[in-house]
Amino acid sequence: MIDEQHLQRDMLRAHEQHDLKALPPLYLDAARLHESQGDIDAACFFYTHAYVYALDCGDRQVAETAHSKLSSYGRDR
Amino acid sequence: MTVLDQDMIANVLRPIEAANGLPNAFYTDPDVHEAEKRVLFAATWACMGFAKDVPNKGDANPVTFLGQPLLVVRADDGEVRVFQNVCRHRGMILVEEKTTLRSTIRCPYHSWCYNFDGSLRTTPHVGGPGKNLHECIKREELGLIEVRSYIFMDTIFINLDGKAPAFEVHAASLLEQWKEFADKPLYHGGPDSSFSLEVNCNWKLAVENYCESYHLPWIHPGLNSYSRLEDHYHIMQQGEYSGQGTVVYNPKLDDTGRAFSNFDDLSAKWDTGAEYISFYPNVLFGVHRDHFYAIMLDPQSNGRTIERIEIYYTSPDMCGDDMADLRRKNASMWKDIFVEDIFVVEGMQRGRSASLYDGGKFSPVMDPPTHLFHEWVAARFAGK
Repeated sequence: MIDEQHLQRDMLRAHEQHDLKALPPLYLDAARLHESQGDIDAACFFYTHAYVYALDCGDRQVAETAHSKLSSYGRDR
Repeated sequence: MTVLDQDMIANVLRPIEAANGLPNAFYTDPDVHEAEKRVLFAATWACMGFAKDVPNKGDANPVTFLGQPLLVVRADDGEVRVFQNVCRHRGMILVEEKTTLRSTIRCPYHSWCYNFDGSLRTTPHVGGPGKNLHECIKREELGLIEVRSYIFMDTIFINLDGKAPAFEVHAASLLEQWKEFADKPLYHGGPDSSFSLEVNCNWKLAVENYCESYHLPWIHPGLNSYSRLEDHYHIMQQGEYSGQGTVVYNPKLDDTGRAFSNFDDLSAKWDTGAEYISFYPNVLFGVHRDHFYAIMLDPQSNGRTIERIEIYYTSPDMCGDDMADLRRKNASMWKDIFVEDIFVVEGMQRGRSASLYDGGKFSPVMDPPTHLFHEWVAARFAGK
């Protein structure tokens, strides 16, 4: 079970340490958590961050996954 | 705002026998320098860098040229593109340091992301949190602002105002003059073949000094041994370039007979020929059968210029460790020559503070390349 508090802590740590590669999967997990709770706005907020950071660090897999979700919810194209 | 003396500009445009050089204001006046950015640089094709600085896909090199923030990017298709280095959202500088980007150009402010071809890829939260679309944000209209560019012999030329004729038209004579070199692959010699000189002079004095051979026996006496004044000829193309050629190029960098290999399929002219051209406004070229160099003149102010020198060879074999000593000797030889010129251009710069100086008198025999450059400057300021 993904715990939001742990995710937030890990995301903050990754930002503090400028660990760019750690960010896309963490934001993806956060997006999925909110998606599972039915909060699509919050999910898309985190999918957006997962997408942007994945583009930035060349994580093609996360970029495609996040972009696909955003497109399916009509939030990107 | 400085008002240029139109009579003095008209004097420059007279035949060389009766002409004077450009008046002092062209060298000393910050207002004229600002005007030159528009008239001589933005409206023509100016050199702003070298493609070798972005060898791989995703390489991005931010360059400030004439105060303009620019970004050179090697795109996915291998093409080199030049953009204004600002986000279309809030005008934030996109890339601060030379880097290799992974798959996007991301603005560090609100994370608008651009593809390497400049197209806008995504606009995070632009329609509210988690909503990356908005009907007013038309991505197809909001790509990075691309600057017209053209690469000639690894030298990146840009036309900032976008109104100049195509480079192939603008530089048609140069492309013809050096057609034997223009399509040859060039291989940069690496760190030992790259250096810069910071000079306290107006950029035009570097152009003028480079394009004439009159000074060679006085300033570069070391050249007299194999390249005498009478071995040189003028190269003149109105409105485009001027320079000099030699017919006795015969480098001897190594006592054991080692030498750089030549470019393939050159005509006999280049067996002992070499040419040195000031291509207006701001790049100085030198071609030889075994190497090529370019000097970008990067004006910092009306009285200060950075000269950036890059030397290229004919094959990857010339760029390996076993040729490093020869490359260093070659770079050192050129650097010594260019350093010998510094006191001259800096002396002429200080001389331009002599208020009664009239721009100078040309030798109709020795100074036609210099006059041709002055004529180009004056004609552009006269709207001709």
